Amino acid sequence: MAADLIWAVQIYLGLGAVAALGFLGIGLDRIDENARGAWVFRPFLIPGILLIWPLVLFRWWQLERADTEDTEGQGRFRPPLLWQPRLALLLAVAVPVMILGAMVLRQDGPNEAPAQLIEPAQ
Amino acid sequence: MSVKYTPVQWNPNKWVYDAVLLAIVAIYISVFLRLGAAEADVSRPIDGAVLRMRAFGTCAFFMLSAILCIGPLARLDDRFLPILYNRRHFGVLTAIVAWTHATYVYNWYFNFSQINRLEALLSSNTAFGQILGFPIEALGVFAFVILLILAATSHDFWLSFLGAPLWKRLHLLIYLAYGALVAHVALGYLQDTENPTFALLFSAAALGVVGLHVAAWQVGRMRSAKGEWVAVCAPGDIAEGRARIVQLGPKERVAIFRYDGNRFSAISNACAHQNGPLGEGRILDGCVTCPWHGFQYRMADGCAPAPFTEKVPTYDLRLEDGQLMVQRHANPPGTAVDPLAVTGMEATP
Ligand code: FES
Repeated sequence: MAADLIWAVQIYLGLGAVAALGFLGIGLDRIDENARGAWVFRPFLIPGILLIWPLVLFRWWQLERADTEDTEGQGRFRPPLLWQPRLALLLAVAVPVMILGAMVLRQDGPNEAPAQLIEPAQ
Repeated sequence: MSVKYTPVQWNPNKWVYDAVLLAIVAIYISVFLRLGAAEADVSRPIDGAVLRMRAFGTCAFFMLSAILCIGPLARLDDRFLPILYNRRHFGVLTAIVAWTHATYVYNWYFNFSQINRLEALLSSNTAFGQILGFPIEALGVFAFVILLILAATSHDFWLSFLGAPLWKRLHLLIYLAYGALVAHVALGYLQDTENPTFALLFSAAALGVVGLHVAAWQVGRMRSAKGEWVAVCAPGDIAEGRARIVQLGPKERVAIFRYDGNRFSAISNACAHQNGPLGEGRILDGCVTCPWHGFQYRMADGCAPAPFTEKVPTYDLRLEDGQLMVQRHANPPGTAVDPLAVTGMEATP
């Protein structure tokens, strides 16, 4: 199981390396004018591309197709962060539960009495 | 307008910020290494490698807690905004500290395993069905991968390439990572220490994070429920050539500028380039100048002067009972709005 997982991760990162080559070599100049002629910062993008290359390819394709700078319109000034309060409130419930639970369930408990090896005398 | 990408954006403020962060991390680690051994259960003394591993692990946890506190603090009080702007460097440093922790775990606990160490790390405990003795490694790996993704996509390029909405959604993963980390520590280190110091610090940090989020959420709800027009302040309270920033919604800020002595205009506080804080910019040549990379916008219509094409939304203003009021809903980017001239204030040419 673990071996398969590691193998899958290696394949994923390997494909990511190919994507990184293609994107940094060709794609970047085509879709982002601020990157044209800027080479020093490119190695900094490699880890990100390795990790989320499917998303990178998707955005590349989207930007090639849209062919316009402004694909977001007014939305960018009001980013739809509906999920932030939801996640925060979820965390607000989960964190106390986890901490309390872990304290209560402690393997050897904070108030554990020493083990009685010998039966106390009557 | 365009700004070429550079590997890391540093300015004097960020140098100081990063230096302070590094110093705090160094102090924390050395204090932990000195005092931490005493915290362990006397019947199960720990050695140097485990101690270092815990020092970096707990450090990363506290750093992430601090990072998560910055957002709600900035929403509760504008004075925390400067910490917010450098949060990305903070995040990258956290990922590095977490990486060090993971390296210690990997090189210590699994050093003598027969099989590949990574494989051993993943397969040594697969008791996913139980709570105590749950494979906390899996929780740690999960959070670590998220931290890596966020750190790796923190460069300015990613914000513009993915677009603000997608980038922000991606970075919301931080909440999942934090939840996993709380479980990782609660079922891991917390089970081992007999001394309450760490338990107290850990609970305080985690509860502080969620407490601040709930508070900011409450305040945000109260603030955004104020109707069509929102009171700002008396016109005289804004210094000439400066702005007052007002929170309109949970994620929406408007900057109300005073210029020419008695004129007022309101534009979005978020720069069209990378959401820099326009309200902290100066007015140069009749334009607001973004403090981050210097994009400029005309006060009257939120447009960058030709030949540039960037636009930000504008807002209507009016005066009521000696108070400036700003319209809750923004005009589309680039809409011209006549500046509000307040009579009775002295105009300066
Ligand atoms: S100029 Fe870059 S964020 Fe404003």
